[in-house]
Amino acid sequence: MSHRSDTLPVPSGKTRSQVLRDRSIYTRLLEVTRHLQQTVREHFVQLMSRQGLLQERRHTQAIREQEALLSRLLCQMIDLLQSGATSGLELQVPLPSGDSRGDVRYGQGTQLSGQPDPVPQLSDCEAAFVSRDLSNRGTDISALYRSSFQDYNAYQKDKYHKDKNTLGFINLGTSENKLCIDLMAERLQESDMNCVEETLLQCPDWRGQPFLREEVARFLTYYCRAPARLDPENVVVLNGCCSVFSALAMVLCDPGEAFLVPTPFYGGFAFSSRLYAKVQLIPVHLESKITAINTYPFQLTVDKLEEALLEARLQGKNVRGLVLTNPQNPLGDIYSPDLLMKYLEFAKRHDLHVIIDEIYMLSVFDESITFHSVLSMESLPDRSRTHVIWGTSKDFGISGFRFGALYTHNKEVASVVSAFGYLHSISGITQHKLCQLLQNTEWIDKVYLPTNRFRLREAHKYVTAKLKALEIPFHNRGSGLYVWINLKKYLDPCTFEEEQLLYRRFLDHKLLLSCGKAYMCKEPGWFRLIFADELPRLKLAMRRFCDVLEEQKQDLIVKQLEDAMRE
Amino acid sequence: MFTLSQKNFRAPTTCLGPTCTPDMDSSHGDDLEGECSRKLDQKLPGVGDPAMLSSDTSYLSSRGRMIKWFWDLAEEGYRTYHMDEYDEDKNPSGIINFGTSENKLCFDLLSRRLSQSDMQWVEPSLLQYPDWRGHLFLRKEVAKFLTFYCKSPVPLRPENVVVLNGGASLFSALATVLCEVGEAFLIPTPYYGAITQHVCLYGNVRLAYVYLDSEVTGLDTRPFQLTVEKLEMALREAYAEGVKVKGLILINPQNPLGDVYSPEELQEYLVFAKRHKLHVIVDEVYMLSVFEESVGYRSVLSLERLPDPQRTHVMWATSKDFGMSGLRFATLYTENQDVATAVASLCRYHGLSGLVQYQMAQLLRDRDWINRVYLPENHARLKAAHTYVSEELRALGIPFLSRGAGFFIWVDLRKYLPKGTFEEEMLLWRRFLDNKVLLSFGKAFECKEPGWFRFVFSDQAHRLRLGMQRVRQVLAGKSQVAEDSSPSQTQEPSDQHR
Repeated sequence: MSHRSDTLPVPSGKTRSQVLRDRSIYTRLLEVTRHLQQTVREHFVQLMSRQGLLQERRHTQAIREQEALLSRLLCQMIDLLQSGATSGLELQVPLPSGDSRGDVRYGQGTQLSGQPDPVPQLSDCEAAFVSRDLSNRGTDISALYRSSFQDYNAYQKDKYHKDKNTLGFINLGTSENKLCIDLMAERLQESDMNCVEETLLQCPDWRGQPFLREEVARFLTYYCRAPARLDPENVVVLNGCCSVFSALAMVLCDPGEAFLVPTPFYGGFAFSSRLYAKVQLIPVHLESKITAINTYPFQLTVDKLEEALLEARLQGKNVRGLVLTNPQNPLGDIYSPDLLMKYLEFAKRHDLHVIIDEIYMLSVFDESITFHSVLSMESLPDRSRTHVIWGTSKDFGISGFRFGALYTHNKEVASVVSAFGYLHSISGITQHKLCQLLQNTEWIDKVYLPTNRFRLREAHKYVTAKLKALEIPFHNRGSGLYVWINLKKYLDPCTFEEEQLLYRRFLDHKLLLSCGKAYMCKEPGWFRLIFADELPRLKLAMRRFCDVLEEQKQDLIVKQLEDAMRE
Repeated sequence: MFTLSQKNFRAPTTCLGPTCTPDMDSSHGDDLEGECSRKLDQKLPGVGDPAMLSSDTSYLSSRGRMIKWFWDLAEEGYRTYHMDEYDEDKNPSGIINFGTSENKLCFDLLSRRLSQSDMQWVEPSLLQYPDWRGHLFLRKEVAKFLTFYCKSPVPLRPENVVVLNGGASLFSALATVLCEVGEAFLIPTPYYGAITQHVCLYGNVRLAYVYLDSEVTGLDTRPFQLTVEKLEMALREAYAEGVKVKGLILINPQNPLGDVYSPEELQEYLVFAKRHKLHVIVDEVYMLSVFEESVGYRSVLSLERLPDPQRTHVMWATSKDFGMSGLRFATLYTENQDVATAVASLCRYHGLSGLVQYQMAQLLRDRDWINRVYLPENHARLKAAHTYVSEELRALGIPFLSRGAGFFIWVDLRKYLPKGTFEEEMLLWRRFLDNKVLLSFGKAFECKEPGWFRFVFSDQAHRLRLGMQRVRQVLAGKSQVAEDSSPSQTQEPSDQHR
């Protein structure tokens, strides 16, 4: 690795000849990689020119997008290449103790648990031509981020605006509630929000200001219908739920250890567990098909949990916990108290921690459904291993606030998570605003929640009516900000590659959705569509959505005709 | 820091076994848990090594147990301090805090400014997911602000700016993206001890010390002088021990020395770093807190040419210069887009509210207020407070260092130690605390010589007076106490103060 041997001494444990040999491996790898790069590029240029005929004016944009895809594919190829090369050639770079960098490859869905655990120097080669200044993990983090967020960043730079940028991106991919911004903006401008006290500007309590933790405890007691008052000492407040999850993963798992997650599963946590904590997420794959054991689509059963756990343990994984999202993301389902209890008992049986993310708990808009928070249970099977996450991002539509809270009965866990308060702290001024916001139960109950539910319901109704008209199967039982839709019939063959291409086609039409693979879904063809947007934007988005599917359908027909003629 | 009684310290050791007991007594430190993680750094082979802590009934992972152990030490003390915090009316016999480096002199100005109507703006984009590097409007303001106050020869660029929730996060992110697990940064000591924890907690990165002496020897012209020879030596030593060094951390103006590096010195250090392909993180968090004009502070961004711009990364924050450590705003400036992007990739975890970002942009763009109101007043108040404390020290015949930058004076109390050991330093520190004044002792800054203390003077006059009075009492009684010093006197349970 040339960028390593630049520096003075030869890395420990390597002789000069080894270094030279490594260098020749490196050169060869690079050659092969370049070749691959070339091939892939040509392939895409061809592909593009075909699309170009269909969609001339979007040609340039599409090429840009395709190049991005290309670089992603390239990275994956390098990984493959190198993991092969390293095992065959005994490339012995000393691995720092306990760090398994190559554990989770975001977006590789089904391969998650399949990878050999400590893949040595996974991204060394990548680093060599990406950057000479970053550490391997730094390069890895950058690449991961780039591949996960580049479309989001493209959206940030080219947002749709009804007057200024009518051709801009509409984002139905990021789970944000944009329906009640007017209410929130109004509320946040009220005079009680603006307070500058000395304590707010000074070195904080790293668990969160006491006044805010008290308020969060009271708020959760009330809205989760806790049988007994929740204790502010069990609350830790950080700058977002991902930060809470990251800190929890750090203190509950050692590097390389794992959590079980039923999939499809919120991709953000996969990102979190990989970036810092190096914790693996082992999918418990759920299926859409209804069978004898699967009485509804994507049903989570204890049998499936048991099976996944057993399999993981057989593979030598140390599983430390189970992560549940309730209401679920992206399914929009909620777990009944009975089911929840079964999962918790399963976890207790195996000494697993349970992290329950209830970030959508107040976004249950179908009034016939009652959400049961885990905190509402009379008795938890394993109090000390049950940790609840909640934040204001979704339920109050203020993801820009950066606020997430942990509630855990385990004082030890609460205390050690606060050690991360230093790195995930919230401004005192923001903490004050949050406290004021949560405190005003009357406004929440009488103004905000009814309006929010009503608007969610209307938007949901609009989108699902469209989907029904298009005969697109979807999944949502009345909570969350999204519908989980099945576009399999537009894919031929039904593969993740085709899913990705369809996703690109949406992007070409300036529509951002999330594809199933990002949720580690086992079956290609699923997409998550956010409906919590204002009607005019939503209408335009659905028009673009229909256009894409129409185009896709035409392509499929052409393709089928071609196939038929060939035969 | 703030850790008070023996009792509090003993407790956690029992669950850890004997390996960690020997110098428990020195685990009191500066700024919360700087010291504790230094322990972690020195004694333990690495976070995540399960051999270190036998698993008893804990629910935590082994790295979790380790983090908890160190955190408990720190938090225990922090809580104790807060339980007996001085308050003029409510608790006049409470502890005066000369330990935490906070500027408490300008709250009136700040609160007035932050309460103005331009600060209360709310718009949808501020409430939604941001650009993780920081909102563009803020990065533009930061670039302009730094161009002006760092006297940059060329306009600084918004795309080189990344905004995070505090300097701690920035150290953590930089450590993670620049170093592998177990690699190190060089840092001249004494230094702001909390950095140890920042780079270690997530990053598992260590610090390799460049020890400086108070004695002026050889070609040195002043105490604790950093020279390239010392840097070279420390780098060689680190390599000899098998530690791979990836960078150098410089704090300028320095904490705790209250001194600044001259542009020539800075240039030499940067050239040294370039020679060895080391990154340089320059922490300039006190850059506007230089209250003596004669000091002639120069930001690294003011240099005509950086020896290795791709490896030079500058940090600044509002916590010190604007006395708002509770606001959580810090910024990175680096020309290296790979580094900026990598740090931004972690910003999902270190983001700050859009509303606060808006407020910061408003604050930083108000050049008029900063130049005409805030800075002159802040400097005048810092100077007055500094003058008061330094005169008190002079009257006591106590040597100290501080050239007019920062919030602190680096005080030499070696003559009050019967023996030149860190145990004695600790005993003296505890005696101050028993007399209700909290200081930071040199060990927390990894100072090589026992007997140095950091006094933070940026506090209101009445608290300063009372604090100095308590310091005098302790030092006056010192000789007598030293004679009949017995362990029992230093092991009073903290309950006594509550």
